[in-house]
Amino acid sequence: MTDNPIVVENLVKYYEGRCVLDGVSFAVPRGCIYGLLGRNGSGKTTMIRILLGLEPPTRGRTVVLGQDSTQLSAKTHGRIGYVAEGHHLIQSYKVRRLIGLCKGLSLQWNDEFFGHLMETFRLPLDRKVKDLSAGMRAQLNLALAMAIDPELLILDDPTLGLDTVARRQFLELAIDVIQRQGRTILFSSHILADVERIADRIGVLVAGKLVVDCTLEELKSRVKKIRVIFPDQAPNDLYITEIVNQQKQGREMVLTVANWNPQKQAILETFRPESCTEIPMTLEDIFIECTRPASAVVPQESEV
Amino acid sequence: MLTLIDREIRDNSLCVALPCLIGIGIIGFAIFVAFYATMGSSEILLASSGILMPVLLVGFCGLGASQMYSDRANRISSLLATQGVTRSRILAARVLVGVGTVLASLVPPAVTILILLWAFLPPLSFYGRMVVEIFTVAILAGVAGYCVGLLVSWTTSKAWLVMGNLLLLSLVTSLVWIKGFGPDVMAILLLFIVAMLWHIWHTFTSASL
Repeated sequence: MTDNPIVVENLVKYYEGRCVLDGVSFAVPRGCIYGLLGRNGSGKTTMIRILLGLEPPTRGRTVVLGQDSTQLSAKTHGRIGYVAEGHHLIQSYKVRRLIGLCKGLSLQWNDEFFGHLMETFRLPLDRKVKDLSAGMRAQLNLALAMAIDPELLILDDPTLGLDTVARRQFLELAIDVIQRQGRTILFSSHILADVERIADRIGVLVAGKLVVDCTLEELKSRVKKIRVIFPDQAPNDLYITEIVNQQKQGREMVLTVANWNPQKQAILETFRPESCTEIPMTLEDIFIECTRPASAVVPQESEV
Repeated sequence: MLTLIDREIRDNSLCVALPCLIGIGIIGFAIFVAFYATMGSSEILLASSGILMPVLLVGFCGLGASQMYSDRANRISSLLATQGVTRSRILAARVLVGVGTVLASLVPPAVTILILLWAFLPPLSFYGRMVVEIFTVAILAGVAGYCVGLLVSWTTSKAWLVMGNLLLLSLVTSLVWIKGFGPDVMAILLLFIVAMLWHIWHTFTSASL
């Protein structure tokens, strides 16, 4: 058994000449909840589809539960729960039939847990999947993914289209899964509050590149937003490296800096600022700063 | 595997049932001719079966087309491939259902006609061999027609779906029409089937789902 259920090595994917993933490398440790963030079209879904073997990579390698993604065996597939973006279930099937199909194809099926989920979600068994609301489809997809007691759960924007109550139910379920020892979750979302609530490691994809890969706490401690007031006009260049974003207005400068440390603090002090205050940042603030077109890459742990 | 086979049959029930019903029709017609027709019964029987063969061929092609086109259009394999199965197994179940349908539609009529010939006509080995050859070619042509459906219909373009199927199906029919029912046709059809199955397997296992 490998300690990293997901390993991505120098992954490159081109679509019709356009680079969607550009040399992405990361690993998801066992028992970790990895939140994959990125704007629309940043390559999150492509990455997940490559991991599941639904899409071939152009270059690089992805290993899931110890097997190359392009050659996943039925047994390995059976250990992975997947909730697809948009919940592409078979629309013409009735819910009961779809459940029967997934149960028939599964290697293990937790009837008790699935029954509990169906009771919680109150899904109509005799209705066709296409007649379900987006929220109900999401719940059905989630219930089907959870029923196999997955060792690895991959969720591609699972709360998309869910109302607040359903989203809360989903998060509680995710936490329930986390509590089952050894479960690993890769989870992409646009709702940063959800990611902040449950993820313990974060990856941020910007235009196909992984610009952040660290724990949530580390990310918050490494990226600092500082408001600096200078006695005169703010200088054009502070000679500080890894500035993610910089805004200047008269004597005031607002800086977002990756890997803030005493050395960078000392460089800033040489400009003799009148005041220097830290602005608290939420994950959303960090995400917005990191996904700006000209933002610097936040180096990964090994590089720090 | 049984779940996958069951799904293929239920999802394409009409396309599976239709050739089987035509097969039953051939049996019924053969019995009718054997018992009630007085003149040239063997000729009538074989000619009628010959008329139904192209219909069957279109039916088998339709089954392959229905399996692949509905899969592509509804992204069925995209869901199945994330369950505890591999793409090869999904395709194997599909092909088993297709070949099973061809056999279920053609073997019972062949056996029935052989029995009727043996019972009602003079015991000449010529008839038996002829029926066996005709039905062997028919089965191979049926499988080839089915493979054409599979091969061409992995598409989202309806125009290509219709044109491609018609084109390749005409090719198979013309081959049988021109060359007749000999061992050389059997060999060509067999090669054609193997090549198509290889291409289908390669396309299906490497495509984006």
